[in-house]
Amino acid sequence: MDATGPLFAGPPAAHGVPWLALLALLLGAGAAVLLVVGLVRGRLPASYAAAAVLLPLGAYALGSLYMLEGSKQVAFCGSCHVMTPIMTSMQASGDSLASVHYTRGLVPHDQACFTCHSGYGIWGGVDAKMAGVMHMVRTVTGWYTLPIKHNGPFDIDSCLGCHAFAPSFRAVDAHRDPDLQKALLARELSCTGTCHPAAHPESALTGGSAS
Amino acid sequence: MIRLACLFGLIALAALGLLIVRLDGAAAIVFSFIGMPALGLALALYGAARWRAGAFRLNAPPGK
Repeated sequence: MDATGPLFAGPPAAHGVPWLALLALLLGAGAAVLLVVGLVRGRLPASYAAAAVLLPLGAYALGSLYMLEGSKQVAFCGSCHVMTPIMTSMQASGDSLASVHYTRGLVPHDQACFTCHSGYGIWGGVDAKMAGVMHMVRTVTGWYTLPIKHNGPFDIDSCLGCHAFAPSFRAVDAHRDPDLQKALLARELSCTGTCHPAAHPESALTGGSAS
Repeated sequence: MIRLACLFGLIALAALGLLIVRLDGAAAIVFSFIGMPALGLALALYGAARWRAGAFRLNAPPGK
């Protein structure tokens, strides 16, 4: 059933004026005018020296913020060909943990990847951005092997951030087992792939090619 | 040197424009790995040109 209508487009606040992009464009346009003048004339008036430096820098600062914020979007993650099958499988109804969370609305639809992969707290976001830079490096250089694997153990703090205080989570006997709690907190075990389904289906980890 | 600095600056701004128009992985790669180095190079070249023109001397004449 194809649901259409403004109600299904998300909250109105999500569709406001993209000020960050607009400001970056405005500063960038001003800088471009100055740079074209400099390119044509071979010199820039000294009185415009500060503007010639500050306008491009300002445009790039805003552009970087725009990229940092925009890179939390599911569509951004799925735009690289290795990640496209993972995004597709998550959005389809399936048994994988990512799909269950996404299709039931248990994670924000527009930032589903970032929600689970950024870790918990402010440093989780910083780590995710650092990992994102490495993803770009690996994409450019082809420095990866298929099927792709998660770099290190999955940070279960991302799971606990939502589940730890849920009565339904606390009521499960296995979660109350001291040995299991110890193993989980020591990162010897993870939630996914052992007791719970794998986060993403194996078929989605091959970058779209047959494994 | 100013022309080269302006050219690199415009390349950097083109990368920024691409990012604003279509925010995806490819544009982010261009912005980060072409745009940012181009902007750095542009600023370094412009700074060098201004330095050669004597703009950073303590007794620089007005307007330098």
